[in-house]
Amino acid sequence: MTDQANQDGKQRTVLCIEDEHFISELYSRALTKAGYKVTIISDGNEALDSAKKENYDIILLDLMIPNLTGIEILRSLKDPNLNPPITSKIVIITNLEQSDEVKADIEKQADGYLIKAELTPHELVDFVNSIK
Amino acid sequence: MDYLSKFLKQTRIKIFISFFLGEIFLIVIWYILFKYLKLSDLDIAGALVLFALLFSLFYSFHLTKYLMQPLKTIWQSIMHLAPEAVGVAAPDLNKVKFGHELVTNLVNQVYQLVNVSNSINKEEALKIKDITHNFIAQNLPLPLFVLDPTETIKYANQAAASYMGFSVEDMIGKNIYMLVDMAFPNEDTFDNWLKETKTKSATAIKTWERVKLDVRDNHPKLMFDLAAFYNQDNPDNIETLLVMFDHTKLYSQEDQAVSFMALSVHELRSPLTILRGYIEVFEEELEGKIDDELKSFIEKMHAQADLLMAYVNNILNVTRVDDDQLELKLAEQDWSTVLNAAIESMRLRAKVRGISLNLKVDEDLPKVGVDRLSIQEVINNLVDNAIKYSGKSKEINIDSHLAKDGLIETTVQDFGLGIPTSTMSNLFTKFYRDHRNRSQVGGTGLGLYLSKAIVKAHGGNLWVRSHEGKGSTFGFSVLPYTKLSEEAKNNDENEITRSAHGWIKNHSLYRR
Repeated sequence: MTDQANQDGKQRTVLCIEDEHFISELYSRALTKAGYKVTIISDGNEALDSAKKENYDIILLDLMIPNLTGIEILRSLKDPNLNPPITSKIVIITNLEQSDEVKADIEKQADGYLIKAELTPHELVDFVNSIK
Repeated sequence: MDYLSKFLKQTRIKIFISFFLGEIFLIVIWYILFKYLKLSDLDIAGALVLFALLFSLFYSFHLTKYLMQPLKTIWQSIMHLAPEAVGVAAPDLNKVKFGHELVTNLVNQVYQLVNVSNSINKEEALKIKDITHNFIAQNLPLPLFVLDPTETIKYANQAAASYMGFSVEDMIGKNIYMLVDMAFPNEDTFDNWLKETKTKSATAIKTWERVKLDVRDNHPKLMFDLAAFYNQDNPDNIETLLVMFDHTKLYSQEDQAVSFMALSVHELRSPLTILRGYIEVFEEELEGKIDDELKSFIEKMHAQADLLMAYVNNILNVTRVDDDQLELKLAEQDWSTVLNAAIESMRLRAKVRGISLNLKVDEDLPKVGVDRLSIQEVINNLVDNAIKYSGKSKEINIDSHLAKDGLIETTVQDFGLGIPTSTMSNLFTKFYRDHRNRSQVGGTGLGLYLSKAIVKAHGGNLWVRSHEGKGSTFGFSVLPYTKLSEEAKNNDENEITRSAHGWIKNHSLYRR
């Protein structure tokens, strides 16, 4: 259990929106070990509903998921007109090669952008720990 | 025509009179010999033959001198004007008796023609020369450039104009380097060859393959083979000929094959990441629960998976480099931190081979301007090479210090196989691997090619010193951030963007 997994005495929650089972298992395992409470949802619509309801501390978002794209979810969650507003920190984790403009656009809205292929579970945990 | 007819008539009359007089003379001689000297028939015949001989000799010389006078005069006038002949004086027309009018007329025409052509200005003269003398060059379906000793384009054919997208007139008088932006796969550029050739040879020929041409912004990139001919003794101020053989389609097909491969290689990344993830899990979970031998096996798996990932990334980056698409973002970094992180990630790979990495970083190094991930890739490539070619040696030294020129130098030294001199010049070429060791030493042959492109894009240099059998030292330099910060000031995000590419631009004009 790391210090960073607790905020104001409460265990931090993580929503992992990822449809590749091996990846989500690895991430969930590493984050749980580090003291986070991890939820995995692989369907886009389901993930969006859950994110709006639960207001997770951190959301790990893959761009390629069934039924709703990561970008659509990102835009919905970052919509300033949402009531109640979502304060989750959203981290994009993807293997997709984006054009510079799209990447820049995403980076402006998201709170992190990581390349899946370069990410070991350890590194993910380190990154999540660094998010305030 | 009047003069000519008159001259022909004069000539006819002269020849008629000469022959007629000659025959009369022979008849008179015969009469004298027959009537007064009363010689026998045989004697008379003999005497007549002798007189005919003398007479013919005399007249042949006399007639030639007369009839040839006009021709000789015209010859003299032309030779007087011809550039090659030296010491031929102008003819004195007053001395010409026979055919005087015709000769005078012709000689005047010749002088007039020369005056006319002298009064045409240089460009028109060139044009006339082009039209009449350069049929071959004009119709050659290959772009052809003719350069003078200052590399200015003296002439370009129609094929060159179409290829470059300019008109012939626009190209003439321009410097070839200003007009034609060529990039070569290595340091052996046209510019470098020409400079060297001018100091060493009177004449030289060279060909290059896979030269890239950046024509203009929206023009597709062209690729061609290049042939050059140099000769310092050509007339008309011509020194160099350039011919291009377009192979855009062929080379782009080959490049597409590489892109296709990159696409397939891309697919390897996901399963590889997952594999590495699970290996990491094993390492953690089995800590203390398995014996040392099994632990070392897992470490080896980890090291090999890391290596595989490095190869995959190398391949992908090389295709990006070739397309000018590998973009680096140079930011302010602490060099010691960057170097340490890179070496740490390599320790396992070294450890499984029983090799120790000895890192020494000078204190108080200034902050550097680097793209962290790419420069770490360079360090990893160099250390990976050192490990691969260590042979039996077990030490690799990595050292970083401030050089005299203000750049931060880092060296990776191994004490292994070393590099044979014959290999040295090919070291940084794509896909090159020393054939002797290929069976024992794995690798993609891309690491050094990629590393060089990345270091160059950082504004630094990558070099090697080696002794076969004793080991090698690879070194590279990066710039302190202060040197780059001027550029950063113009950029909002405090980052400097550079594009890493494997192409050597032809002329320093285009080099960063």
